[in-house]
Amino acid sequence: MPDTLQTPAGHVRLGSNSGQPMTRRDGIAKVTGTATYAADNRPDRLAHAVFASAGIARGRVVSLNVEAAKSHPEVIEVITPDNRPALHLDPDGKSHPFSWRIEALQDNTVRYAGQPIALVVAETLEAATEGARLLAPEYDTDPARIGFENGEAYDPPAVGIGGNPSFSKGDFDTGFSNSEHRIGASVDTPAQYHNAMEPHAIVAEWSGDHLTIDTPNQAIHLARGAFAGYFGIPPENVTLRSPFIGGGFGSKAILVGPQILAIMAARMVDRPVKLVLRRDQMFGPVQHRGATRQKLRIGTDGNGLIKALEHEATASTSSFDDFIEGAGNASLNMYASPAIVARHSAVRVDTGTPGPMRAPGEASGSAALEIAIDKAAEAVGMDPLEFRLRNYAETDPASGKPFSAKSLRECYELAAQKFGWSDRPLAPGQMRDENGMLVGWGMGSALFPAPMFAAQARATLRRDGTALVETSGADMGQGAWTALAQIAADGVGLPVDRIEFMSGTTDQPDAGVAGGSGHTASAGGALFEAGSNAVQKLADLATADPESPLFGAGNTGVEAREGRLFRADDESRSESYADILERAGLERIDAMGSGGRDPANTEARAMFSHGAVFAEVKIDPDLFQIRVSRLIGAFAAGRIINPHLAKSQLTGGMIWGIGFALHEEGIHDLRSGRPLNADLAGYHVPVNADAPHVEALLVDEDDPYVNALGIKGVGEIGITGSVGAIANAVWHATGKRISSYPIHIDALLS
Amino acid sequence: MNITFLLNGETVELADADATTTLLDWLREERGLKGTKEGCNEGDCGACTVMVSDENGSRALNACILFLPQLNGKSLRTVEGIAAPDGRLHPVQQAMIDDHGSQCGFCTPGFIVSMATAHRNGARDFDDQLAGNLCRCTGYAPIIRATRSAADQPVPDWITDAPVTATANRFMPDSSDALAKLYEANPDATLVAGATDVGLWVTKGLRDIDPVIFLAGCSDLKQVSIDDETLRFGAMADMNTVRAAIADLHPSYAEMIRRYGSVQVRNAATIGGNIANGSPIGDNPPALIALGATLHLRKGDQRRDLPLEAFFLDYGKQDRRPGEFVEAVSFSRQTDRLKCYKISKRFDQDISAVCGCFNITVADGVVSEARIAFGGMAGIPKRATSVENALIGKPWSDDTVDTARAGFDEDFAPLSDMRASATYRLETARALLSRYFAEDRGVAGSVLEVQP
Repeated sequence: MPDTLQTPAGHVRLGSNSGQPMTRRDGIAKVTGTATYAADNRPDRLAHAVFASAGIARGRVVSLNVEAAKSHPEVIEVITPDNRPALHLDPDGKSHPFSWRIEALQDNTVRYAGQPIALVVAETLEAATEGARLLAPEYDTDPARIGFENGEAYDPPAVGIGGNPSFSKGDFDTGFSNSEHRIGASVDTPAQYHNAMEPHAIVAEWSGDHLTIDTPNQAIHLARGAFAGYFGIPPENVTLRSPFIGGGFGSKAILVGPQILAIMAARMVDRPVKLVLRRDQMFGPVQHRGATRQKLRIGTDGNGLIKALEHEATASTSSFDDFIEGAGNASLNMYASPAIVARHSAVRVDTGTPGPMRAPGEASGSAALEIAIDKAAEAVGMDPLEFRLRNYAETDPASGKPFSAKSLRECYELAAQKFGWSDRPLAPGQMRDENGMLVGWGMGSALFPAPMFAAQARATLRRDGTALVETSGADMGQGAWTALAQIAADGVGLPVDRIEFMSGTTDQPDAGVAGGSGHTASAGGALFEAGSNAVQKLADLATADPESPLFGAGNTGVEAREGRLFRADDESRSESYADILERAGLERIDAMGSGGRDPANTEARAMFSHGAVFAEVKIDPDLFQIRVSRLIGAFAAGRIINPHLAKSQLTGGMIWGIGFALHEEGIHDLRSGRPLNADLAGYHVPVNADAPHVEALLVDEDDPYVNALGIKGVGEIGITGSVGAIANAVWHATGKRISSYPIHIDALLS
Repeated sequence: MNITFLLNGETVELADADATTTLLDWLREERGLKGTKEGCNEGDCGACTVMVSDENGSRALNACILFLPQLNGKSLRTVEGIAAPDGRLHPVQQAMIDDHGSQCGFCTPGFIVSMATAHRNGARDFDDQLAGNLCRCTGYAPIIRATRSAADQPVPDWITDAPVTATANRFMPDSSDALAKLYEANPDATLVAGATDVGLWVTKGLRDIDPVIFLAGCSDLKQVSIDDETLRFGAMADMNTVRAAIADLHPSYAEMIRRYGSVQVRNAATIGGNIANGSPIGDNPPALIALGATLHLRKGDQRRDLPLEAFFLDYGKQDRRPGEFVEAVSFSRQTDRLKCYKISKRFDQDISAVCGCFNITVADGVVSEARIAFGGMAGIPKRATSVENALIGKPWSDDTVDTARAGFDEDFAPLSDMRASATYRLETARALLSRYFAEDRGVAGSVLEVQP
């Protein structure tokens, strides 16, 4: 065995690579501009494609001036519903839970502004752009349905991906009516757009029936199967390469129409085709976080104990597909209450279909829940932290199961102490800074589930003393190239500089989905197991070989370290991997491994990462400009593989909390249904000057049940808690409870 | 157009360069230099930042809204030219690795070039230097740390390029006299100064703007002169130059410019361009109107002057005749009484919801002169004349200010839009007058009671 002694709970001990604050292995490529993103590929004979975007939100395209576009000397082909080749799968079908209905020019219907309505392929990007302009579409226009009031309401069968749309335990009505203090809160959240810095892009090339695709993707093998399905070829005929993803945040996990169009075009013109979305095209076909309208009611007794908690959420989705923010479910696992109700409804509007965006459901839901909890604390007259501790859930409120591990109390304590929370005056409007700005302090609790996906990996020990370790990981900035390599190195018992880590393409075994904050746990588990299995094979060779100093050690076991196997009971007896392979006459020895979780643990335990976030805001008393001046969070997320990477993810998430609370909002014109701010000048993401002192603290947590490595995720939890903390700080500064995000400068006008 | 420039140390001569091909498209599509990224194609994100140097030093610019002819006679460095030819990293590159300043990495090349430019210029205002680069992953702190930690290391010798001589072109005049002649003869031409606005006509509006006259060679139009009587800015003075020139004389205006665009945009944008294009929310005109600025226009050999506010006729309509161009803007030396308030939702790189500029002179306790101008309150930059009249000749007092505040309702009927409501805009205008008064009286920050 490598140094993976099993603890009683099945929790492995990792080697010397994991846990180290290693710098990113891809750092040099990124700072020198040599890291290759999809749009950087320029195969020979490349043609460029640009899609024409619908200028209306609902109706039909009645004419396209294809002739004008084709008369441009550099335009090669114009694809419209009239000449579009058939697809093997219906783009309006849903072949699996991660497939969305897409726009692939199946007909002349317009379902939202910005939808692709034609594709122009040309020799140059400029000609393709000009060709798309020359199409000058004309429409039959139906009135656009934008906003909760104007959409079509319905009861969704599921929320998120397969989530339960309603939940009830206990007797809410009785609990609420018998409560001493009763509060209600209404909170709206807007449509938000992922806006990764890298726009979606694809370069597609056919060679006979083989398809090679360069496109940023968070679930490489899943995508391979889906692409193959649309074009009626076996999955192994698709090579997908996604070595670097310029930010994904969920929007690159699911196939989108423009990718299919580019592949279609490449086949039609028999040339490689590149399609890169313009920034304004990022506000239509590539998903967004759907808007929500949430209502909460909380009843407490005189001691501040929650007796009833209700969270209703209406979410917007498109007219033709369903992705419902499961915002109400954010209330199921955080605070103890004998009665809990969560309910969802949905409204169809004429926008693109929403999708998962960093902490889907939890971000929007926590943004509302934490306001309601603060109001409940206010009603009781209790400090918000004390109130949250009073209602601390010792077991999962929804299921009653024990938590696999929960260190939220330690998070509260650490972050509150670092923030200086104990000096906070209870009443709002009490603090001013030296410039006369209103100062407020607020807090929020953070929570995110710890899902895992099926994942595989291969480890190959080589006679030169190195190892090749492979899995199709996706690095979208979180640091998979580094963290997964650290785990892989421990799996094979080698220093990380002696392993070759291959990732990011379909040439490697399936690493599952980089989503749900479960990638490091899933792919890491597979890598570790593959390494352990390869080392086990090596150990079997050595312990059965009379010439090896390890001969006969079978019963007492061996340990792997620094490329050598040691007898567990006698450190002086050891042999290098290279020598073992040499004597066995083998060039290499390899093994597969898979990641996963003991189903018995899944059944028995509730598994979440936890955290606490404290915010300070400063508000101009006359002009109401709001600045977040401090944001301090503490998080417990199981074993941390690389503290640098984990803190980067957490602080990045907290900054997203600032964006959610104060800035980000996709605004559509109610009449035309067109987005009004489809650019980075109008859709505000936080800029440097908006980023205050942000600090993420890590709380050690040993979770023996979540998976063999004890890893939970850190990619999404940072945004939860942070949004509500900022809104609560705004209240503490001004005495004004906000009812919608982002908090506008004019929202505080009395 | 025929142009000559240095690209990462290598001479590039282009014959018949298209006037409106952007540098970014040329780098990525023609030249195959793919390190420079496209994030927005309109100067909002900085992913395409390049370093452009000439005899006046090095500037960071957005390649996505920089037309190829603007490079004539310059030396250009992209992310591929920041490390040494032998692969040694620039100090800012090493610092970005060490401090984990790069996550997904897509914005990183732009940051690296901004950082290297700031490093070369010895700039220490790290936050401002990087305000024009967006990052969706890191939250900026590690990048700022990296910039700071590299600051004390020497500028690597490979970054410095030899000077280049520009190739002469008919539509690239080298003086205002030449421009006047050329433009009078070609009144339909589009004038390109920094292209921060005109660039978008091409990249977003897909407009054909030929023929184009590039003004960058008119060095006399870049002159800033300050004497005992007057400050005069040539139309081609870029906004960073303007900011530096007024920093001591009108610090509030300079501070407003700091938050106006980004370093990359201010390096390209000119004061004349901002005025000539007449944006209702341009931030320069309210400040200049409050300062009593005069606009100097020229057509051929004819010149005329008019008060700046008279130039703005209506939304999108300026008093500029065919073949006539903005030559300069000037205003009198004066005791600094100017305060500029740029109100926006996001702190940096945000279009103003309201931009209010106040210049109120008080003699012996009585308001002797008042010039108040706003952007974002009407279709054009506009003076608050009722408020001014309610102040002039009155004692500079709470009562006067209280009374005058009502004048904003007569002066403006603002619109509600996604930046702010009409109510907020009017309320803010009134609050800003009170704030100006309070600050003048030495009350810190706020009109409300402030406890020390």
